[in-house]
Amino acid sequence: MNFEHCIRCTICVENCPVMRVNPDFPGPKQAGPDAQRFRSDREKAEDDWVLLCSQCKRCEMACPCGVEPAQIILKAQQRYGLEHPHSLAHVLFANNYYLSMLGSFTAPIANRIAATKIGKKIFDAMSIATYIPFPKFRFHKLSWKKRTPNRRSRKVAFFYGCFINFYRPDIGRKIIQLLKSFNVDVVLPPQWCCGLPALGNGNLQLARSFALKNTASLSNYIDAGYDILYSCTSCGLCLLHDYQDIMDIPKAKKIAENTYNLHEYILRLVDDNYIKPQFQEVPRKLAYHIPCHLRALGIGYPAAKLMSMIPGLTCEIIDDNCCGLSGSYGFKKSNESTAISIGNRAVARIKKTCAETIVGDCGSCRMQLGGLSGLVTLDPAEVLSESLGITLTKKIKS
Amino acid sequence: MSVTEYDAIILGAGVAGLTAGTFLAGRGFKVALVTSGEPTACLSTGCIDVCSRDSNPLTGINGLPPAHPFHLVPEITIMESLNNFQAAMMDMGLPYTGVADENRVVLSALGTFKTSCLVPSTMKAAPQDAKDSIHIITFAGLKDFYPSYVISRRKNTKFSVYDAGVVSTMGIASLFEEKEFLESFIAWLKDQNINEDKIAFPAVLGLESAAEIVQTIATRVGKPVFEIPTIPPSMPGRRLFNALKDYFRKKGGDIYWEWPVIGVEKSGKIIEAVMTASKGRPSSLNGKAFILATGSFVGGGLTAGRDSITENIFNLPVLAPGPRETWFENDYFSFNHGIGRAGIKVDSSLRPEGSLWENIFVCGGILADTEILKNGCGHGLALATAHLAAKSCMEYIR
Amino acid sequence: MIKTDVIIIGGGATGCGIARDLALRGIPHCLIEKGDFAAGATGACHGLLHSGGRYVVTDPIAAKECYDENLILRRIGEKCVEQTGGLFVRLPGDSKRFRELFLRGCEDVGIPTEVISSTRALDLVPNLNPELEEAIKVPDCSIDPFRLCMLNIRTSQLRDGLIFTRHKVTEIVKSHGRCIGIKATDQATGEVREIRGNIIVNATGAWANMIASLADCEVPMTLAKGSLVITNHRLTNMVINRLRPPSDGDIIVPNEAVCLAGTTSLAVENPDKIGIESTEVDTIISEAGRMIPHFNHTRIIRAFSGVRPLLKSKKIDSHEISRGFQIIDHGNGMYSIAGGKLTTFRLMAEKMVDTIMAAFKLKKACETAEIPLDGQEELSGYPLSKRLADMNNIVCECELVSRKEVERIIQQTGTRNVGDIQHRTRLGMGPCQGGFCTFRALGIMNDMSVVSPEQSMEMLRGFLQRRFRGIRYALWGDQLREEQLVEYIYLGILAMEKPQ
Repeated sequence: MNFEHCIRCTICVENCPVMRVNPDFPGPKQAGPDAQRFRSDREKAEDDWVLLCSQCKRCEMACPCGVEPAQIILKAQQRYGLEHPHSLAHVLFANNYYLSMLGSFTAPIANRIAATKIGKKIFDAMSIATYIPFPKFRFHKLSWKKRTPNRRSRKVAFFYGCFINFYRPDIGRKIIQLLKSFNVDVVLPPQWCCGLPALGNGNLQLARSFALKNTASLSNYIDAGYDILYSCTSCGLCLLHDYQDIMDIPKAKKIAENTYNLHEYILRLVDDNYIKPQFQEVPRKLAYHIPCHLRALGIGYPAAKLMSMIPGLTCEIIDDNCCGLSGSYGFKKSNESTAISIGNRAVARIKKTCAETIVGDCGSCRMQLGGLSGLVTLDPAEVLSESLGITLTKKIKS
Repeated sequence: MSVTEYDAIILGAGVAGLTAGTFLAGRGFKVALVTSGEPTACLSTGCIDVCSRDSNPLTGINGLPPAHPFHLVPEITIMESLNNFQAAMMDMGLPYTGVADENRVVLSALGTFKTSCLVPSTMKAAPQDAKDSIHIITFAGLKDFYPSYVISRRKNTKFSVYDAGVVSTMGIASLFEEKEFLESFIAWLKDQNINEDKIAFPAVLGLESAAEIVQTIATRVGKPVFEIPTIPPSMPGRRLFNALKDYFRKKGGDIYWEWPVIGVEKSGKIIEAVMTASKGRPSSLNGKAFILATGSFVGGGLTAGRDSITENIFNLPVLAPGPRETWFENDYFSFNHGIGRAGIKVDSSLRPEGSLWENIFVCGGILADTEILKNGCGHGLALATAHLAAKSCMEYIR
Repeated sequence: MIKTDVIIIGGGATGCGIARDLALRGIPHCLIEKGDFAAGATGACHGLLHSGGRYVVTDPIAAKECYDENLILRRIGEKCVEQTGGLFVRLPGDSKRFRELFLRGCEDVGIPTEVISSTRALDLVPNLNPELEEAIKVPDCSIDPFRLCMLNIRTSQLRDGLIFTRHKVTEIVKSHGRCIGIKATDQATGEVREIRGNIIVNATGAWANMIASLADCEVPMTLAKGSLVITNHRLTNMVINRLRPPSDGDIIVPNEAVCLAGTTSLAVENPDKIGIESTEVDTIISEAGRMIPHFNHTRIIRAFSGVRPLLKSKKIDSHEISRGFQIIDHGNGMYSIAGGKLTTFRLMAEKMVDTIMAAFKLKKACETAEIPLDGQEELSGYPLSKRLADMNNIVCECELVSRKEVERIIQQTGTRNVGDIQHRTRLGMGPCQGGFCTFRALGIMNDMSVVSPEQSMEMLRGFLQRRFRGIRYALWGDQLREEQLVEYIYLGILAMEKPQ
């Protein structure tokens, strides 16, 4: 039990974005290792304040003793969820994958309704917060491409994740073009939601079902010599950490051993001299908001290194603030004011840089920061694409 | 295995590690810093203690026992390290006050005087004796600070309470970063019509803008204002850490969070790489030289088993005061506990003694014979030994 | 000068039990204790309410007493006794013959047992040594011994009993050869109180002979030091015993949020000069580790010793001396009650008060076995539901003690001693052993003007010194890290000065 190692140093407390703004959340130390000494199977769970944890994982990244407070809290959330009914919002977000499928299929109509007053009322009734506009669904999402002519020595299976798939498939297509321009074969393996929304909203069973399907599919590609790439840092953390440590998926270790962050992978291509990218000038001033889950992945900031090779680009790294949205956390009405307070703090810090554009790997972060600040947001892949002259062809299918 | 090459790899993100890294990065070396969590510095008062044994720290250093690692650092390097530190902090908007040859004091939360050498500007106005009358402002619900302790030691002290709406140290500090909050607070403060000579606060006056905020309050109210360091969570410690970290990155260094070192690659007398498990996919960083700054027990650099003390990364020989019974004396306040001397013994180049490695350099709290609390030499020793280690490292690489 | 009928010296389980019994039988009384409640063996034991199983083979009479009392305490202390159940585990190599004797002994005494397979045992307690052969389930229970004393005292307080803690008895006043009263010094103020009574009960446990000598009497005792270690958290929810003749380190008891493991046995002379030794810690860990392997790696947060007050015996191995108790009538108005164990405290008290009633020629029967303990509902404790009130203003984060609770104790008891708050709320009993919360608790006492400003630094210093004695021999691994951090806080951040 790693809570045994906690020396109560409060470094996790210093990092918790929720506790900072919401006095109802006792903090990662108290909700995690402190309370854990008292949790017993012999009584009903009544620690509802564990639901306030946004699972940003900053506490885990900061702990010098190897304690994982967020994981302890997640287990407590699951236990609480088993004994108390979930709110409608929880159920909806757990099933985000299926709802997004529906939203995508009915895209133009769904988007239009969402933007109207009736749409807002529907969201209110479902306890969904509307302080930032709900992302627009895209009808033409990415489709599985199981095979690729086996020409190149580097080949990857791209795990694109729900955000790119349902809301920004254009970024996905740019990434595919980018990789192709680097002489890398790209397939889009059969894939489902990584399972994080289900996990974070108390549906472990659904999360596991996604995880098992993903693992089976990706495993086949690994056996065939493909590396797995992810671009969304939350999907990445889920695949690499949660599959093994929380969902107990067999073969999860194999997945973790062969899965890379997109930029980590590109950097490897550079280090191995497989590519010599000719980055052209991009005269932009960027504020790079580091997603909490990227910090927790332990791979450094590879996109920052790549962007530092682009002439004319100023990129100031800000890694001290959580954006506050935390996936579906901020979209729940009960967390709305917390998410806004956290987000405003992050925006204030970003605005101090006087950058016109915010760049960040996580779609969720971009929605939140863009929505609260009014600034333009970009995925680092978009910046790299711009520098390398990658544009999308007119054809919709890739 | 993914592999990346650096000139120097720093292990540990404390004052020593970040300073050594900055020194090298600033001179054009390719530097990576890896850490498994955040350092003990986050919990400290933020003050740079050099040597409290004498009113002149440099004289105090000369009077230290012969085995003390401070003797390995030429006085000119000690001065250089303090100057560089002050310059760096000025650059990052967190100026430090003080001179190398004169100690000063900071008022502690118990009302005692803490001796230090360089203190953050927010503590510059702290009284140096019992003469000044003080008015303490504390915050409703802040459980980590009690003005009554100070009042019990200084008769000429009064206090008032302000309700900030949040009760945690981080929460209040975060609020002070907001203009609106600061304005209404200053308005309230002026209304208090304070008569005492100086105004004191627990150290919650902001995060990155603390120096500015304290200055603003002092100017607007027309009285000197100073902070009193609190028990952890400690804002001055966090500000110091954030400033050092951002400065290191500004000079071109890379930081890898969540990077516990689980193994080492070596060849003959040379360490070639350090490895981490990285969620199941081992990844390693190659370096020409390694600087070990992982701290003492709290920091995680040393581990005490029931019978012996080990160094966790390179398994360097550790000087232990004797068997477990000798680690502590009966008197808690003896300031002479044997455990304060435990650590890594080094030669004049700060290479570990009794080990064959050519390219490891050791600095900071992990060194043997430091007795940090007895000698009042924590961060100051870290700065000085970090400079020496970085210089030795630089020589080695060239 | 205070006048009463019965003076009880000693605030351990026995003394508090006597106070409760006297209160229920309507006899005015006054209890004096040198420290806080449970300062002696009571506060230094496992907190185990035996089923009696441990004694069935070596001391069947004691076993029967234990079992009967176990049933009574479960009834009268329904809300404060944790009915954990216990397992006697048989490891490879443990004598099968002893097992037979054990089962037969339990049957003879009437202790219900259930032989369970190793699989089932591991189901009940997953941390058990997977190599165990089998286990025998018995109805062991656990309780915080301090809480037990407090609950007994509650009855006394509700019925006008006089209680003086932190008063040291310095003199037994005699008149014409009869003990007629005592003089005790208030440890905080130095004030001397004189109390007159018709009967004096010496219930001071390991100090019985010392107190008796104040009246020129004798209580022949063997003092055996026993040591315990406390773990960071619960490794088991049931009491774990070793199925073999009683020996060192063969009991592990879950109590509140921790486990207590021990014990050892070493003869000592002076109950005030004892201390745990490194070798004892190692022995306990290795023995406990045989039953629960994780013990070898787990975090120990505290290690301390207490003294068993055993009746003098020629038997060398003090595990063998009878735990039975004895009431000594010194013939001069003073009685000493010696021996015994926590589980039988109520019975000891009953017999003592029966004797007193006979001396007073009164005929009220004992009701302590029928009437539930007073004050049980007021207790916070384990598990989490009992600590959830007021999560937003927690003073001790390790043990989840709220500011409201601390203030209430300060107001109710008028205490100026951090130790008193600790015992009553468990503040500072968790992993950081008061590292953070003592600063806060003393700050609160400052705020409430309960201590004078000059006192708080001394109290803080005194607290840190005492605390250190309890943890010094448990400092390695995580606990050493913890300790270095606490040192940085008090000696670094708070700049506590060296005492002059």
